[in-house]
This record gives sequence, C-alpha cells and structure tokens, in this order.
Amino acid sequence: MSNSKRMLIFELIRGAAAIGVAMLVALIFIFICSDEPMEALRYMLVAPLFTNGSFSLNSLYIMLANSTPIIFTGLAVCVMFSANQFNLAGEGAVMLGGFVAALTGIYFSTGTYADVFIAVFVGSAVCAVLMIIPALIKVKLNASEMVSSLMINYIIMYVVLHYLNNVFADGSKGSVMTFPFAATARVPALVAGSSKLTWGFVVALICTVIIAFFMYRTRWGYSIRMIGINQNFAKYSGMKVASVIVLSQIIGGFLSGMAGAVEVLGRYDTFLWRDLPGFGWTGVTVAILAKNNPIFIPIAAFFISYLQRGFTLMATYCDVPSEMVDIIQAVIFLFFAAEKFLSGYRQKLVVAAAKEELAQKAAQTATEGGNK
Amino acid sequence: MSNNEYVVQMKGIEKVYSNGVAANQGVDFFVKRGEIHALMGENGAGKSTLMKMLFGMEQPTSGEIIVNGEKVTLTSPTVAISKGIGMVHQHFMLVPSLTVAENMVLGMEPKKGMFIDYKKAVEITEEYAKRFNLHVDANAKVIDIPVGMKQKVEILKALVRGAKILILDEPTAVLTTQETTELFKELIHLKEQGFTIIFISHKLKEIKQITDRLTIMRNGKSMGVYETKDISEQEISRLMVGRDVILTVEKEKAEPSDVVLKVRDLEYTDSWNRKMLDKMSFSVRKGEILGVAGVEGNGQRELVDMLFNLNVPDAGTITVNGQNVIGTPQRKIREMGVSLIPEDRMTYGIASSGSIEENVISDRFDKKKFNKGPLFDMNAIHAESEQLIADYKVLCKNYKQQVGMLSGGNIQKVVVAREFSCNPKLIIADQPTRGIDVGATEFIRKKLVELSREGVAVLLVSADLNEVMELSDSLVVFYNGKIAAYFEDTSVLNDEMMGEYMLGLKKQSDEEIRRVCHE
Amino acid sequence: MLEQIGSMIFQTDFVFSIFRITAPILFAALAAVVAEKAGVTNIGLEGIMLFCALFGTLFAYWTQNWFIGVCSAVVVGVFFALLIGFFALQLNTDIILAGIAVNTMSSGGTIFLLYMFTGERGNTAALTSSKLLIPTVEIPILNKIPILGDILSGHAVLTYVAFIMVFLVWILLYKTAIGLKIRAVGENEHAAESVGVNVRFIKYIALAISGVFCGLGGAFMSMYYSQSFNTGIIAGRGFIALAAQAMGQGEPVGAMFSSLLFGFAQALRTKVSGIQGVSSNLISAMPYLVTIIGMVIYAASTMRKVKRRNADKEKNQ
Repeated sequence: MSNSKRMLIFELIRGAAAIGVAMLVALIFIFICSDEPMEALRYMLVAPLFTNGSFSLNSLYIMLANSTPIIFTGLAVCVMFSANQFNLAGEGAVMLGGFVAALTGIYFSTGTYADVFIAVFVGSAVCAVLMIIPALIKVKLNASEMVSSLMINYIIMYVVLHYLNNVFADGSKGSVMTFPFAATARVPALVAGSSKLTWGFVVALICTVIIAFFMYRTRWGYSIRMIGINQNFAKYSGMKVASVIVLSQIIGGFLSGMAGAVEVLGRYDTFLWRDLPGFGWTGVTVAILAKNNPIFIPIAAFFISYLQRGFTLMATYCDVPSEMVDIIQAVIFLFFAAEKFLSGYRQKLVVAAAKEELAQKAAQTATEGGNK
Repeated sequence: MSNNEYVVQMKGIEKVYSNGVAANQGVDFFVKRGEIHALMGENGAGKSTLMKMLFGMEQPTSGEIIVNGEKVTLTSPTVAISKGIGMVHQHFMLVPSLTVAENMVLGMEPKKGMFIDYKKAVEITEEYAKRFNLHVDANAKVIDIPVGMKQKVEILKALVRGAKILILDEPTAVLTTQETTELFKELIHLKEQGFTIIFISHKLKEIKQITDRLTIMRNGKSMGVYETKDISEQEISRLMVGRDVILTVEKEKAEPSDVVLKVRDLEYTDSWNRKMLDKMSFSVRKGEILGVAGVEGNGQRELVDMLFNLNVPDAGTITVNGQNVIGTPQRKIREMGVSLIPEDRMTYGIASSGSIEENVISDRFDKKKFNKGPLFDMNAIHAESEQLIADYKVLCKNYKQQVGMLSGGNIQKVVVAREFSCNPKLIIADQPTRGIDVGATEFIRKKLVELSREGVAVLLVSADLNEVMELSDSLVVFYNGKIAAYFEDTSVLNDEMMGEYMLGLKKQSDEEIRRVCHE
Repeated sequence: MLEQIGSMIFQTDFVFSIFRITAPILFAALAAVVAEKAGVTNIGLEGIMLFCALFGTLFAYWTQNWFIGVCSAVVVGVFFALLIGFFALQLNTDIILAGIAVNTMSSGGTIFLLYMFTGERGNTAALTSSKLLIPTVEIPILNKIPILGDILSGHAVLTYVAFIMVFLVWILLYKTAIGLKIRAVGENEHAAESVGVNVRFIKYIALAISGVFCGLGGAFMSMYYSQSFNTGIIAGRGFIALAAQAMGQGEPVGAMFSSLLFGFAQALRTKVSGIQGVSSNLISAMPYLVTIIGMVIYAASTMRKVKRRNADKEKNQ
C-alpha cells in the first residue's frame, strides 16, 4: 500500500471517528431529553432525504440551497487559512456583500439580466477591497489579522445597520428593510417550488472548481500554499510573500462577499438582515471538515446542511430543540482539528510505511548488486 | 582511582539519536573535584550531547553516570539540579521582561504569605552576588542589562539552586574581551571556593589560561584527557582538528576565469554587539570551488545570510557579475544565477508537508515553460520533477510523496536537485552534506565538482574538514569574522596547518590574504 | 445637538451607566489578559461567557440563591476554558480553532441546554425574579455625597468586583509566585522549563483563571445587566475583550482603560439613540474603529523602535 493511500485511509478513519464521537454525544442528549428517542433519531438521520418512507426531492433541494452560502464562505476560509492567515472577517463580509449587492440591485438596475451579475460582482468586489485592510495591517505592521478582522466584523455590522436604518429603509414597511430590488437583480431559481435553490448553487460549484484549480493548478495558488506551509521557504525561493498574503485575503473577501450577495439576492426580495448572519463562522467549520481542500468543501457544506436539516426536522416533529446541532457541529470540528487525535494510530502507520520503504530499499540494492 | 577524587564520572557513554546519528561512541569523561575542566572539540564532535546527558536533557543509550560516587539516572534537568549540577546554556534561559531577582528565584520563589517576597528575592540575589563576586543589578530588568551580566545571572541561577558542578557551554562566545577577563576571575574565585567547573570551548588561549585539565573530543569519541600545563596548543589543535579517514575526490585541475562573486569590506555586528564580520573581502571565480573552513560561529552563517539577502550588512558591498546583492529581493538574486543550499534545510530548504514536486519547482514555478496562460502546465511540471528525481537519484515512490517523509539524505537531494538544476552561475553550498548518509554525501559532492568544472563558481562553506579540504580548489579560513588565511592550492595543506589557523594560533599577512580578491 | 450630548455626558446617570456597561467587558478583558500572559490566545471568551450566563441564571433558579448562581457560572467558565486547554495542549488543536469551536457550540448549545433542563425556549425570563438577580449595594457615607455618591454608589456587587479584580489580577501577575510563572511561561517557555516549571500546568492554570473571569462576566450579563438569559446576550463582548487586551498592551490596568473606552461608547450610544440626527449605530462602531487605529499606531511605533535601534547601532560604529 502506498504511503499516501495509507494516509488517506487514516484521515477517513479519523473523520469517521470524530463524527462517531459527535453522534454519541447527540445520542446521549437525545435520550436524555426526548420521550421517543428512536423516533427523534430517525428524524435526525433519515428524514432530511426521506419523508414518510419515500425520497423527498424538495428536502434535498432545501439542503443544497442551505449549503450554497457556506460553500462560498468555506472556500474563502480555505484560501485564507491556506496562507496561514487567521482572517475572520468573512462573517462581516457576508453581510456587507449582501447589502451592497442589494443596493446595487435596487438603485443601479439596468432592467436587463446583466443586473444580477453586476450586483453580485459589486457586492463581492467591495468585500475584496475591504479585506486589504487586515491584510496590510498584517504584512506591513505585523499586527494580528485576527483581532483586526474581528473588529471589522462589528464595524461592518453597525455601518450597514446605520445605512439600513437611516438612509435606505423603506418607510412604508413595518420592520426595517430596504426597498425591493429589481426583479432582474434576483438570482433566478434553479428549480420551481419553495426550496429557494437558485442558480447560486451552481455558481458555488463553479467557484469550487475554479478555486480548486486556482489553488492546485496556478502559480498564485501554489505560492499561497507554500507560504502557508513555510514562509521562510517561500521567501528563500523568491516568492513575493507579502503580495501573495494580501492576494489570499482579497480572494477570501471576494468569496465571502459573494456568499452574502448570492444569498440575499436569491432568498429574499429586500435586504432585511439585522445581525451578522453566521455564515462566516460556519465557513470555518466547513473548511476544517474539508481539511482546507477546496474539492471537499461542497461535501463538507452539504454534510453541515444535512446535519442542520436533520436537527430542524427532529425539532419540528419531536421534542428536541434543533439548536443541539451547534454542539454536535462543534464536537466534530474539535476532533477534526485535533492533530493528536488518534495520532498514536497514525504513528503506527508511519512506522509501517518506513519499514516497508527500508525493505524495498534493501531489495533494490540486492538487485543492483546482482546486476553488477 | 578513588571515588572521592572524581566528582563526575561518565563511563562508556553511547548516544544514538532517533534519526540514527551516533553522537557519542563510548565516551569516558572524568572530572576531578574542584577543578576547571575543559571539554574541547569542533562542532559536531559530540561535546554538547555529552553535556546534555549530564544535565538530564538527553538520556544515554548506554553507559553510566556517577555523580559524587553515586550512580545516577538523570531523567530531567530538575533531577540534575537536585544532584548539584547546574548548566549555563549558550543561549540564555532568561525571561527578558522579568528583573534579575525574579529570574533568579523563578520556580523556587520565596514567599511571604500569599505573595512573593520580592525583597527576599533581591536579598538572595545580592547575597549570592556578593559571596561569589558576581556583581549584578538585582532590580534591573534582564532586557536592559548587558550580555556579560546576563551570563552572571545564569551562573548565579545555577548556584542558588545548589549547584556544585557548573557546566558552561561556550561561555565566552558572547562576551567581549573585558567581559571574558572578568568572567575568568570569577570562575577562578568559584574554583577556590570548591566548585567544579566544566568549560566547553574551542578557544585555545582561554583554555590554556584558566583550565586545569582538558578532555578533547572528535567525531563522537574522546581523544584523551590531558593536564593543561603539559600539552601544547599545537598538540591540542592536532588532536581536535583532524580527519580519521581521509577522503579523496578525483577532480581535474580548476581553470578559474572571471570573478563572479565579489565581496568587499563586509561588516556586521550582531544584536549581542559582537563583530561577526570584520572588513571581510574575497572573490569567487568562474570554474573554481572556494572553500570556507573554520570553526562554526566565526562569521560563516552571517556571510551566507547576506549573500542571499536574508540579512543586511552594516557596511560593505556584495556583487554577482557586477550586480548588487544587498537589499535585492531573493527573486532577483536567483535571476542573477545565484543558488543556495541552506545550512538549515528544514527551515529554508523545503516545505516539509508539500510534495517533492512542489518542492523542486519553488524557484521556477512562474517560468513560462511551466505555465499555459493562467494555469500550470502540469505535464511540463511532472516531467521536470521526474527528470530531477531521476537525475539526482532521489529515493521515493513518486513526485507526489511528501518531502517531510523522506530520509535526511533524500530531502537534501531534493534541495540540491532544485538548486543545481536552475542553470546557476554561482552556487553557495552551506554545509551541503551535514547529517546525511554516505551515499547522498558522495553524490552531492560529485555533482558539485562536476558543476564547477562546467564553469559554475562555487562557494563551499563547511565545518567538515574532509569535505572542505578535498572539494575546494582554493580555500579561506575564517577566524573571528576575518579571513585568517588563504590557500590558493589546497593540495599543499595538512590537518595540522588548518588547525592552527582555525583556532587562531596563526594568521597570514594581509598581503597574503588580499590575494583572494584576485585584483 | 452637540450641546445636547455635552450636557448628557456630565449627567451623573450617564457616568453611572459607563461603569455598569464596562464591568462585563472588563471581566472578559481580564480573562484575555491572564490567558495571553501565559502565551495562550483565548478566542473562546465569547462562547464561554454565554454558557456561564446561562448556567448562572439556571443555578440561581434551582437553588433560589443568586450567589450560588454566580459561583456555578464561574465553575462552568473554568470547565469550558479547560476544555479549550485540553484540546489545545493535549490534542494539539490550534488554540484559535478550539476557541472558535466553543463559540460555535455556544450559540445553539445554550438554547438547547436551556430547553433540556427547563423546557424554556430561548430565554429565562420566566425563571428569574428580582431576588435572584445580583443585588446592588449602597455604600454608606459615600452615597450621601452629591454627584460622587450618585456615580459610585448603588452599583451591582459584581461591578465593584470587576474593578477590584483589575487590582487583584495585577497583584496575581506581579506579586505572586504563580503570576511570575505565568509571565515566564508566556515569554520564554524554555527558560521556565529549564528551572523545572511545568509549562503545560501553568497554561492550564492561566486558562482556568480566564474561565473564572468569563464566569463572572457571563453571570453579570444574565443576572444583572439583562436580568435574564437570551442567546444574544454577550453580543461580541468576548471579542471586544480581545481588542481591549491588545489595546491595553496586555496589562490589567491598560485593559481596564480600553474597556472603559468601550463602556463609554456604548453608554453614549444608549443615551443618544433618541436624539435626532445622531446615528447610534455609527457610535456603536466607534470603539471597534478606535481599536484598529490603536493597534495600528502601537504596531507602527514598535516597528519604528526596532528600526531606530538598528540605526543607533550603525551610528555607534
């Protein structure tokens, strides 16, 4: 067995173990607080795809729709964490991206189908520019991008609320929201019905492919990854370390902004978020579950939506609150991120691989000797 | 021998590290009560390993340690401290923002009720300082005091913890001449009070000045114990510097032509205020290997860092084919045709969780050859990696294998493959074969010679005497940040001569040295 | 408008509210200070405080005793801080990720646990009564003094505790053996290790202390400030605390002043939200902006210091 295959199997086992631990925790809670635990469990595990014993397409659509924004934010985190930058401003960027896209859709409508592209692009681009701030603070002054990005989240939230309340509110509505954006600025639905599954999902998948190519098939993505692994090595090799670090965060901002833009323009017809939407943080979980590999992001995002939907359904039909999903999600996250979780087992694999290599080497020398 | 006479007896010490390096091979080391005992040897001779075992930081693979007549197992520094052993590390183990007194009592704080009795801490510090004649400012923060005082704090720290045996790891390496004189007075004072001092150094004059006996190590073995007064400096140098097996490398005679690397009047003072490079000037010509020999810490590392703009000199010039290097981005330096095999291959040489392929293309990934529009041309990249793996005989499954998983020799081959294959005009090879297996070593040396005969200028920095004497066409010896000698032809050299220059017993005239500038 | 604001600032109830609003931020900032001194970044403050806020009210309800409620919140804080420690120090999880995980866990986790234990959904308004809240104290004599009495007397017990804690944390860090070890570990692990200090143990201690402060901060929010628990109750105070720590340069007193700055801004927001032409939202954003500017100035001055040292070195030659 090759080493990389062995490591892949190890990672799979590790992931399964982490999910196993989380499920165990879930099980314990369900048994504590439910009168009909088996029923609750069935809802949690099976109901997202099967209602009343038959496959539910609509439910699948809902999950895909829910996974759309967290695919974007997962990709964003993936790019930024790959460069070893703990930029957490994705959360704010989602809100800002959604807001700017909504405004573009309301006030700069051309009445053509270009609207949606323009709105999404403007929303994303503004966030991309915004991310230059923590990035520059980091590369120029070596101040923690983590703290500055957390602050930026709140600044964004309050500034957006300010404009929403005082400048762009539709006074005729009972609660605070903007005027509706032009119909041409809406992200069109992918399937009919109430699932809210829009073309945004397709865009998310396209972005996944683009980011995967970007990270593994282009010189910039390669630089980002090498800087993330060993910044000294990157510098010594002649890479433009500072510029690449800034670039990684611009891309992260763009993708986070897109998450907000696509979500707002796809799910609603006015902008009405009153708080940070939480997709940025979920994006961190998604990226950790995907081991920072773009290709696995949609799978991880779908897994999270599945969990969330499972718990929602369980809450609807049984007496277990859906919010338990956050605990389960966090447990999985913690074990996925724990380097030493099952490291003893990994060590065994490494030793086995080393032995194999030695044996192979011996065999090789033997044949070489024979040839002489 | 009576147990009473010897305070430390280390018998038949073997130490094999987990990476297979046998750092100590049956070393005997005996220290008499109340003496100053020098432990000498070149870097890599195994003296640090031996002392780490005595201080409980490493455990011997076999052999026994007897302290004060009692057989001991030293599992940690804490245990060693309890046996009366103290160590002053070369890199100080002090907390900069704490005061001297706080550093003194860290881990054994005197208390008054719930609080640290800071006054008592100062009293303790001052009492010890007075008793041992080691003057320190108890209330000053460590970050604000000079290096000499930091060292005194370290010695006091050991004493206050009840050390009767003091290990000093190259204590004078960080000191000025005055500070050194002062330290020696203090050490003699300690000796008079019955303390035993083990003094690690490779500075001959100092050893002659203050030690009673000395043990010399070479290649993980002890070369014997001598009374300091009975052994000449030349003899020490001969025992310390020398080769057990003389290796020969076949190479044609060099035909050096134009100057490629030109270093003039380079000066550098480090953050400890030590002059690491002092008006350093030399040139390396096309088609020659210029070796840099010398005990480590005489300016080699600083020089190499500057040649690749990883550090900036205080004064002087560095040019490659007439183009300035100082302050130039590494990308530009590489474009000039300079490549570097870094001494610390894990820090600079590789991205260990990256694949072999990702590591061999790190200097050329943005070249036209490997890109098709915005995308990598993966075929070209795979072909390049496969070619390099084959050319440089990297033992691996395929180019996708993680570099960190390879053996040390193969990791170095990956570095060498990249650095040698980029059409270099100048190769800086810093300890190119340190810690790697014989096969890889031989391979890398052959390649280096081959490239130089093809017209590449090579600067070879190596602490391995075999390597630097056999591979180099001509050679300079570094001592104290200066060139102590230049030999145009290495074939006339012998170990003894080298030792004398390396340890500062001899120095060539300025005119002789100036020849290395080729002007 | 400015006049209006100006006259407000000099009203005693405004100054009073600054202290009230600062207290929970200060607790969290002290939590950040102690953890950071030991070299561990506790980004989970936000989530830990939320759990503490929940369990503070719950235990107060179960025992019908506010004091036991606060103590329980402290225990819960220590538990979650040590959980982060376990994953970071034992299982090598990046400590930032471990903190994020606890934050993720807290938002839904608290709602779930609340339901599991009490059947209540979302908040504890039904469970609390005024006698279960943290009581306020009138300080004798002081409360008779005009102005000063109005400002300084009549606060909740924990408000006083918060400001006393600044002093106590300073004592802890600078006057006790454990504080010395915490600082040594945070600054030079190897030095501490070489004299037999158990580095990991000290980091656990520092995290536990930071958990204690999260407990106090969380309890303050649910058992006094908001008078009951709901999930939005911490509202970024844990993150603000990280900034307060950074801006206060890691020192308890510095953290207190930056916490007061946040307290001032928030108090101002509450006050001016009624005035025409003033955006309470923009005022809310100010402290965060100030933090970033503060960080930039601090970082830039450190950079300049390094450069100057290099320049001096050249001059000396």
